[in-house]
Amino acid sequence: MKAFLCALALTLPTTLHAQNVSIDSAAGPAEVAVAPAKVVALDFAALDTLDALGVAVAGRPDFTPPAYLADAVTGIPTVGTLFEPDFEALAVMAPDLIVAGGRSQTQVPALSKLAPTIDMTISGEDLVNQIKSRIDAYGTIFEKTEQAAQLKTRLDAAMSETAAAVSDKGDALILLTHGGKISAYGANSRFGWLHGEVGLTEAVPNLEAGNHGEAVSFEFVADADPDWLLVIDRGAAVGQEGEAAAATLDNPLIAATKAGQNGQIIYLDAAAMYLAGGGIQSIMLTLEQLKTAFAGANS
Amino acid sequence: MLRLATIIGLALLLLASLSVGAADLGAQDDGGLFLMLVSRVPRTAAALLAGAGLALSGAVVQLAVQNRLVEPGLTGTPESAMAGLLAVTLIDPGAALMVKMIVASLAAVVGTGGFLILARHIPRQDPVMLPLVGLIYAGILGAGVTAVAWSTDLLQYLGAWQAGEFSGVLRGRYELLWVIALAAVLLYLAADRITLLGLGEDRARSLGLDARQTMLAALVLVAVMVSATVVTVGALPFVGLVVPNIISRWRGDHLRANLPWIALAGGLAVLASDVIGRVIRWPYEIPAGAIFAVVGAAIFLWLLYAAPAARSDHG
Repeated sequence: MKAFLCALALTLPTTLHAQNVSIDSAAGPAEVAVAPAKVVALDFAALDTLDALGVAVAGRPDFTPPAYLADAVTGIPTVGTLFEPDFEALAVMAPDLIVAGGRSQTQVPALSKLAPTIDMTISGEDLVNQIKSRIDAYGTIFEKTEQAAQLKTRLDAAMSETAAAVSDKGDALILLTHGGKISAYGANSRFGWLHGEVGLTEAVPNLEAGNHGEAVSFEFVADADPDWLLVIDRGAAVGQEGEAAAATLDNPLIAATKAGQNGQIIYLDAAAMYLAGGGIQSIMLTLEQLKTAFAGANS
Repeated sequence: MLRLATIIGLALLLLASLSVGAADLGAQDDGGLFLMLVSRVPRTAAALLAGAGLALSGAVVQLAVQNRLVEPGLTGTPESAMAGLLAVTLIDPGAALMVKMIVASLAAVVGTGGFLILARHIPRQDPVMLPLVGLIYAGILGAGVTAVAWSTDLLQYLGAWQAGEFSGVLRGRYELLWVIALAAVLLYLAADRITLLGLGEDRARSLGLDARQTMLAALVLVAVMVSATVVTVGALPFVGLVVPNIISRWRGDHLRANLPWIALAGGLAVLASDVIGRVIRWPYEIPAGAIFAVVGAAIFLWLLYAAPAARSDHG
């Protein structure tokens, strides 16, 4: 049905574009007008994927973007923060479509009164399938099904390459550092796809972790003694300097772990993981980083 | 008898703090010595020092404004220390810990001084008036700090300073807290003067005390102790309110004689909160500040409810 609609949309003259298509959003199936002209994206994952598809947006959140998206968003007007859209600016702009999600998910009902809004949140488990579903949806809306298919193929290839690179290289623990403190993330967390879908063994199985991870002590990491530490620096993710992750982890307890002794502490691109997690470019970047790091290690 | 019970309680708590943690001491190659030195001993010392510092600060502030219901959290001290920290973080993010500490202390002196000036103009008939004003004052300062942090994307940092906890404490990460021990010694030397301050400025002056100077010295000590805590482990509300009240109810208001007890009880209260926070979701952590806030709130309500009817001056 979807393919048929897309094909139909592509063949129809542009004057008939006010037609609706059905896409899968985080809130279930949604009806959206095809090829909206003025699009606002309130989430970096959405900005990321739209940029990869070559869709230009007319508004974005007022927040320092991840470095790889910096060029893509310069010059685009801002419409509120990641959490709180600027409703007045949006009303003036009168967009044809608002892509919300993630940190702005709670604002979807309010935004819907203003303009057609879709909730494109990507959360927790089954991340890769959600990313693909979003790519499909954007491809349908913006009549770029071919590019969408290409992106998905590249993602599949990168996934299997990275999965091959990490297999049999030992277990890993995902840590988020903020200030001088650390939290651990498990397979059910927002970063859990590194375990569940890439196939990294968990150093601490069944880590009870919701979206925000578990506050842990350095002793916890020492006790888990993982082969690899995957570190996300929250400060760096949101553009702060000082108290970097490396300084937080530079202590005797971390140094004594297998990861510390073998130099297997990987500082993931924090902005890609933390801010734009779920964007196609973000996940490709992280997969590439993991592949490079693990490929150089002995099993 | 009481003394013996205290010593046994202290010993048990120290033992608990040294033996409880995410890692298993018995499973270490060196019998846990490394873990002890790097993690357990520093964490125990940090909790004791932070608790002692906050309890002592509370006692001093209560005497200085002659009100039992005030504590550093109600005089804008942590908030102004945070304002100082925020300023350093904005101007020079990589500044040394000592620089951050000094700026935070200076800001705390200014902020607390502001409250003391405000306190002079508050009518004293109702003892709840002053804490209320303090609550509002601290709230305004806190709102200002939050607004600046919000507009500069530093809210997450602010969160770390606001939630007092010890999970990040390791050897080399908490030593600043020993400033509290130093301040406690100075406080002990000045204790009699500060006790006089508790009689009110006029009476203190007629007893031959330079009230202004003493007030300033007390203020600086409080600011240093609170800032050291905020900089290294974050703010721990309620400790400065609950602990001195319990001690002075039990032993009266002789500050010099009470100081060791206040310091000890404050240290133990915070250490106990930290041990509980380490245990209830083992091997994960619950902030000691959150544990104490729950327990401390209960004790505070009990104090209010069980206030002796005969005492009406709250002095």
